[in-house]
Amino acid sequence: MAPPPPQSNRSPSPSQPSGKSEVSDLKSQLRQLAGSRAPGADDSKRDLFKKVISNMTIGIDVSSLFGEMVMCSATSDIVLKKMCYLYVGNYAKGNPDLALLTINFLQRDCKDEDPMIRGLALRSLCSLRVANLVEYLVGPLGSGLKDNNSYVRMVAVIGVLKLYHISASTCIDADFPATLKHLLLHDPDTQVVANCLSALQEIWTLESSTSEEAARERETLLSKPVVYYLLNRIKEFSEWAQCLVLELVAKYIPSDNSEIFDVMNLLEDRLQHANGAVVLATIKVFLQLTLSMADVHQQVYERIKAPLLTQVSSGSPEQSYAVLSHLHLLVMRAPYIFSADYKHFYCQYNEPSYVKKLKLEMLTAVANESNTYEIVTELCEYAANVDIPIARESIRAVGKIALQQYDVNAIVDRLLQFLEMEKDYVTSEALVLVKDLLRKYPQWSQDCIAVVGNISSKNVQEPKAKAALIWMLGEYSQDMHDAPYVLESLVENWDEEHSAEVRLHLLTAVMKCFFKRPPETQKALGAVLAAGLADFHQDVHDRALFYYRLLQYNVSVAENVVSPPKQAVSVFADTQSSEIKDRIFDEFNSLSVVYQKPSYMFTDKEHRGTFEFADELGNLSISAESGESVVPAQRVEANDKDLLLGTSEKDEGRDPGSNGSAYYAPSLNGSSAPSATSQPLADLAFPTTGISSQAPTSSLAIDDLLGLGFPDGTAATPSPPPLNLNSKAVLDPGTFQQKWRQLPISSSEEHSLSPQGIASLTTPHALVRHMRSHLIHCIASGGQSPNFKFFFFAQKAEATSIYLVECIINTSSTKSQIKIKADDQSSSQAFSTLFQSALSKFGLS
Amino acid sequence: MPVAASAIYFLNLRGDVLINRLYRDDVGKTIKHASIEVEKPVLRNIAFSIFKQFFAIRRTFPCIAVRTSYSEGNMVDAFRTHIMQTKELGTCPVRQIGGCSFFYMRISNVYIVIVVSSNANVACAFKFVVEAVSLFKSYFGGAFDEDAIRNNFVLIYELLDEIMDFGYPQNLSPEILKLYITQEGVRSPFSSKPSDRPVPNATLQVTGAVGWRREGLVYKKNEVFLDIVESVNLLMSSKGVVLRCDVTGKILMKCFLSGMPDLKLGLNDKIGLEKESQLKSRPTKSGKTIELDDVTFHQCVNLTRFNSEKTVSFVPPDGEFELMKYRITEGVNLPFKVLPTIKELGRTRMEVNVKVKSVFGAKMFALGVVVKIPVPKQTAKTSFTVTSGRAKYNAAIDCLVWKIRKFPGQTEPTLSAEVELISTMTEKKSWTKPPIQMEFQVPMFTASGLRVRFLKVSIIPF
Repeated sequence: MAPPPPQSNRSPSPSQPSGKSEVSDLKSQLRQLAGSRAPGADDSKRDLFKKVISNMTIGIDVSSLFGEMVMCSATSDIVLKKMCYLYVGNYAKGNPDLALLTINFLQRDCKDEDPMIRGLALRSLCSLRVANLVEYLVGPLGSGLKDNNSYVRMVAVIGVLKLYHISASTCIDADFPATLKHLLLHDPDTQVVANCLSALQEIWTLESSTSEEAARERETLLSKPVVYYLLNRIKEFSEWAQCLVLELVAKYIPSDNSEIFDVMNLLEDRLQHANGAVVLATIKVFLQLTLSMADVHQQVYERIKAPLLTQVSSGSPEQSYAVLSHLHLLVMRAPYIFSADYKHFYCQYNEPSYVKKLKLEMLTAVANESNTYEIVTELCEYAANVDIPIARESIRAVGKIALQQYDVNAIVDRLLQFLEMEKDYVTSEALVLVKDLLRKYPQWSQDCIAVVGNISSKNVQEPKAKAALIWMLGEYSQDMHDAPYVLESLVENWDEEHSAEVRLHLLTAVMKCFFKRPPETQKALGAVLAAGLADFHQDVHDRALFYYRLLQYNVSVAENVVSPPKQAVSVFADTQSSEIKDRIFDEFNSLSVVYQKPSYMFTDKEHRGTFEFADELGNLSISAESGESVVPAQRVEANDKDLLLGTSEKDEGRDPGSNGSAYYAPSLNGSSAPSATSQPLADLAFPTTGISSQAPTSSLAIDDLLGLGFPDGTAATPSPPPLNLNSKAVLDPGTFQQKWRQLPISSSEEHSLSPQGIASLTTPHALVRHMRSHLIHCIASGGQSPNFKFFFFAQKAEATSIYLVECIINTSSTKSQIKIKADDQSSSQAFSTLFQSALSKFGLS
Repeated sequence: MPVAASAIYFLNLRGDVLINRLYRDDVGKTIKHASIEVEKPVLRNIAFSIFKQFFAIRRTFPCIAVRTSYSEGNMVDAFRTHIMQTKELGTCPVRQIGGCSFFYMRISNVYIVIVVSSNANVACAFKFVVEAVSLFKSYFGGAFDEDAIRNNFVLIYELLDEIMDFGYPQNLSPEILKLYITQEGVRSPFSSKPSDRPVPNATLQVTGAVGWRREGLVYKKNEVFLDIVESVNLLMSSKGVVLRCDVTGKILMKCFLSGMPDLKLGLNDKIGLEKESQLKSRPTKSGKTIELDDVTFHQCVNLTRFNSEKTVSFVPPDGEFELMKYRITEGVNLPFKVLPTIKELGRTRMEVNVKVKSVFGAKMFALGVVVKIPVPKQTAKTSFTVTSGRAKYNAAIDCLVWKIRKFPGQTEPTLSAEVELISTMTEKKSWTKPPIQMEFQVPMFTASGLRVRFLKVSIIPF
């Protein structure tokens, strides 16, 4: 390595006249000071360095000073050193050649007798992020890990992680992970241990996608000795490190119930910790550990209530927002537990609107027979609020409560009062709600109609509200005296109506009105059909044409189509599937809870593969811009399918066991070289059909290649003892995933399906229903014809042992692939037979 | 991963960067420059053949995709354009832009923004920011604002390096950090001969027991100060019914004690007293006991001992700290009752009558009482009559400010004011009627009735 002095001669020497620009000015000043050992030189250096750093911060490129900065770094002043390190770390990546200059002095500092300097130098060395310099890192890191000062070790451990991100192979080759593992279990300093834990988790998680060994190592982090070791020392850890340890413990699966209680007893005092993050992490541990014990799980909710409510009211609004999001999740899962605490969710005047919004949702959720009156009274106060978005939210909340309660009498009155408040936004929201209410409780129509009839349609501007009003006019035209005339005036203003939704509703409403009061409406009907036919909006035009032809064909048939007797809606569809909710719950104490969607929906694509779907990106940017928290249903669905296929893929990859490594190789083979799957490449040119039929076939071929398949058919196996299944088996998706990950495959088979079965398998639900009648329950299903994928589970009667099944059915090849995992290996064959017979009966009954 | 923050930014209200510290490179990778591109179907198919296992069922029409993305240095721009310059500001402290999540917090006139690319722990991130700010404050001595940052940016960079490494929070305790990061920063505390003097940091961390207290403190005058500060959270309906009332209190301490003292605090809380009488097998003393709904403690409090014996025992950090926080919902005594009547007489006149009743004991008194009664912005003229104290109209905060220096218990002074308003054309926007604010101190009064029964200090000689 070239020592610094000769370098200085090489550095861009034709110096610009000083004062021309600030940077060149700094440069010449730095150069003057570089060799100076005068008393006071350090102070002037420090001023110069400060200027450089402040320029760097505001975005001025000062990388041209690199050489001078490095020259000036030969100093014993620690502050100067730190500034220099900061500078070097910032620009080394862009100037790899110059970075080489710094290696020399950094390496020297790594051997300094002052541990502080050793640590700082090591940290900077690892922060250079220049790939071709990694060879210089290994030595100092190795000695840093063995340093007798904990500060240096602490820095070195994170240094290993940095090295891994620059060059994974160098890090693995130097066997650093093993050293970290040793330190994790033996270092006396807890911060070193904590850093080891974060580094190892990150390294092994990233490695496990390519290496079986790393996957196993990652599992050992969750093994009993490691978890217990960390738990026993938890009080020594800093609050941040405690969060880290608790996060790990939450993933730990205790072997029996007494172990669960031991862990919970040990951690109970953490709920009293002043740091909200520790409290939340502890809550996560409690919730995850008790998932399988319903009654204890309930007690946990009771126990964590007080600490959570404390956290809500302490700290900044942002902190309470984070806690409230979690509380929100819990309230949604178990509203009855929080129903007595509804007053905690009352909004305060000075709270930010994001907190208020969450609180309103919680108030809606906890409303029950005993507290509805108070809650609705409170919500009505908010409706008069000046903060319009919150006022709207509160009205919606009242409406939601009305829809979920049996005793709606008082609420209806309130809603009707809203209509009379004569504020545009209040009226609009209330109209939409009254409409929904009437769909569920038609018996209230008399009261509502009387009030709605008084509202002048001219005062309602918002499309949604206008559509709701028009719907009511059409639906209850026989009760509303002037309905035909109101509609008629609306039709007259057809051209001024910009919303297609309103126009569509108007069409239908006039039709309905016509069937009830033909003579009065006939004129309006003619006008609306004419206007509709001339409409430029495709849907409006089509519907008008459809009505027109329908009326031409037969008026009574048209009445049956357009205005059949209505059935009250009993339950409105839930916007989020329970599966998604469970996934969010599994990711408690993370962003998922705040965004209210599972992490795979918002984290990088890199977790799913490097190829980015352009349309997905588009979606993402839209949602980022519009601030919509509701993901379009279609997208959720698509992601679900993706998830199903994605996770199973990962699960298989992670499977420990004798055939694990052998299993992996062909699977790569199968997916990257389509020819191996005996599918002609040409198929791929037709993505719509080709791809969809491709997946199962190829994975089918994988199994064949592996020879994993057990002898085909069950005829050969001796008739097993009769197996009875528990009719009330319960298993939540989290546990399912954990078990699926842990258990080895006990049987993997391939069968043909009966043609009748194939014929009835038009949607996954058909099979799900059928299997449920055989006491085999479905936990997840997905796919479209011809590919379906199911995850089933069943429980042995009078025993806790659970069977897990993955079943892939391809209807075009009439093949089904079944993988079974079981707690109790001995009876898995019996279960397999049972499953097979249940499946074969599908479509026959 | 609790946080694994990729970067932290300090911005002023205009969005200028005051400090930025990139911990990881991953935020730049996911986000690239904004561009519109048309995907070619051919390319797609190749990609599909590779990833067909993962994306078997997918729509495959070529489409135009708008990529909103930013280069590494432009994370700040992303924050500016998507949050600061939109109405989004203040609607939610956690936002996602592109592939990254932004956590932001406003502290005086500074935004602190943490950027993460993974599914991070939100509570931990916000707590980290709060702790970091209190650390900076303890270094700057009080204020944390734009000027303080500009004046101390080198120090902040130093601290940012120490408190977080590669996105993982490290040591944030001011007591330890002040050992080796000093404002002067001239000398390293690790002298040139480390073998002579044990490194304080290292020894402390090895002993592990008291990471928050330095060894070898000596004071000529040993002093302990203890304050109970309570804030009452009261929600009243427009008809005067108390909807919700709770107290969040904290016990603040200031300790200047030598050595490693062991302190023990006794409160008149119900569980603590019961446990004590149980241990000493004598009946509970009469007197009011308080039921604490929930308590959280400073890390110095021995939580195991609190759970088993219900005593608060601790080795205090040096200087000022918050010992515990509690929450009480039962039996809250309010010191004051404010009874306002506001009549709008036409469009330009208002009559404001406020009666403040002190409901604490007649022997006690409140100090420095300030009542702020909000009035509409277009107030032109006010005239008052008060039975006690002084009142004036403060146009800057749109409030009538009524000050009473000494306010004895069981009295009820009143203020009546007439407010004249400028008549405006834009009458439509109704007045929001913000709540009346009141500031006061009542010595020897706690809303919850919590009292300190004893504070035992045992100094272990060394």
